[in-house]
Amino acid sequence: MLLEIGIALILAKLAGHAMEKIKQPAVIGEILAGIIMGPFIFGELFGLEYLSDVTEGLASIGIIFLLFISGLEIGIDELKSVGKNGFITSMFDVSIAFLFGYLAGVLLGYDLRVSIAIGNILVATSVGITVRTLMEMHALHTKVGELILTVAVLDDVLGIIVLSITLGHGAPLLLFTKIAIFFIIILLILMVIEKVKDIKLHIPRFILTASIAFSLIFAAFAKSLGLAAITGSFFAGLIFSKFPQRRKMIEFMRQVGENFFIPLFFVWVGASFDFNALEEIGNLVLLFIPMALIGKIIGCSMGAKVCGLKARDALAVGIGMMPRMEVALVVVTTEITMGIFSEDLAHQVLASTILLVIISSFITPILLKAVYKGKEETK
Amino acid sequence: MDLKEFHEKKIEDIIDEKHVWDLPLIDKNASIEEVLSVLTARDHVWVVEEKGSRKLCGVITESDVLHLIAPPRLPKYVFGRKYGISLQHGTARKAEDIMHRQLIKCTLNDKIGDVLRRMVNAGLRRLPVVENDEIVGEVTVHYLLQILLGKR
Repeated sequence: MLLEIGIALILAKLAGHAMEKIKQPAVIGEILAGIIMGPFIFGELFGLEYLSDVTEGLASIGIIFLLFISGLEIGIDELKSVGKNGFITSMFDVSIAFLFGYLAGVLLGYDLRVSIAIGNILVATSVGITVRTLMEMHALHTKVGELILTVAVLDDVLGIIVLSITLGHGAPLLLFTKIAIFFIIILLILMVIEKVKDIKLHIPRFILTASIAFSLIFAAFAKSLGLAAITGSFFAGLIFSKFPQRRKMIEFMRQVGENFFIPLFFVWVGASFDFNALEEIGNLVLLFIPMALIGKIIGCSMGAKVCGLKARDALAVGIGMMPRMEVALVVVTTEITMGIFSEDLAHQVLASTILLVIISSFITPILLKAVYKGKEETK
Repeated sequence: MDLKEFHEKKIEDIIDEKHVWDLPLIDKNASIEEVLSVLTARDHVWVVEEKGSRKLCGVITESDVLHLIAPPRLPKYVFGRKYGISLQHGTARKAEDIMHRQLIKCTLNDKIGDVLRRMVNAGLRRLPVVENDEIVGEVTVHYLLQILLGKR
């Protein structure tokens, strides 16, 4: 097992770097490294067994750290400054993206819970590739760039909340009570933090240990309430963003997460890619991927248009919000762990999501540049 | 000066009026050009709510500006909007766009030893001295060295 993990880390680093060289997200390289490490390539060729309880455990911690960092970087104070336009566009974005995913599930004949689960996967956007493209086009400072950056902040938060509401365990009233308890406790902790955040503890680097500990404790707490563990770790990150040591925590968590646990999560996702699922995946992919892309374009464009952007700019916002990456993979993995999909369907949904990640990442820059090129030509 | 004695001293014993008047302050709505201009001469600037106010709301350091003027480089996993804040791409416009909002502070009543420990733990070279949310001074490594060596 030690050998597999060691090789996986090196492969993930190299493949991630290679992807960045061709201006694609490192995550895709890490997933490809996982596919190589998995049972169909290195498993077959060298007898390596990457998928095990140990690597699954490491990947689970990777998910928790990833969401904790996400909450920490998004930050409560920044959420307060999202503004009306960002909020309106996010609401259109999240509801329509979710609806399109849900409809894809219904059209494919899946039951309510599976259809909702598919809707959840499509909610959260990853704007890394869009930001990079807008930078290349010197369009980050435009209304389109500003709105994409703002909506991306709310997108993850709303995605996690939607996941908690739609997939929590228990009867609706019980679930509502659990969610209410969770958020009341979050609010109470925030109030306590306001009082104690400047208290000086004489334990060196206590806050760094506490950040790791509480990301795990909150994940366990959310899970015990029947919510997803990622909900807990994400909100733990938001809470910890109130501490004055936030920058130090981000540096520390990124070092621990980015160099070990998080790549192992993406490698694990890649290694779980089942080539046999490709034979059965046809209808799902044909509906899932177009619905994922069109849902974002329609949702965000409508929201941006309502906020007063011109039609072409609104379309650019929609295209810029198409990429799915880290959070979509976290959501699908969480849903698989929750046992929402049957074993065969789980492989198909995971494979479809990986394809969505790759396709959306490759086509977004092309479409975004095409929209801007058309805009310049019509001037 | 004996180091132990130095550690026991309180911040209020070492802050002088001249030092307070010399604080680098800027309001949160100041333009990015104003921020950069201050930082040509200082290695940090404290950000206050509005001109003339002392209500502290952030800090901008040399290292923040280093990231701002360097060619933009996105991390592996991008969250939130901070990685879209760039001088080159015109998204860093005002002081509040780039300042750090969460501050590690000290008070006039703190001992130098405790303040130094806090600076070491957080990897900081300066702390604001804050009373009732208002900045009343700053403690920097340079300043503490001057006190230690009896140059102030």
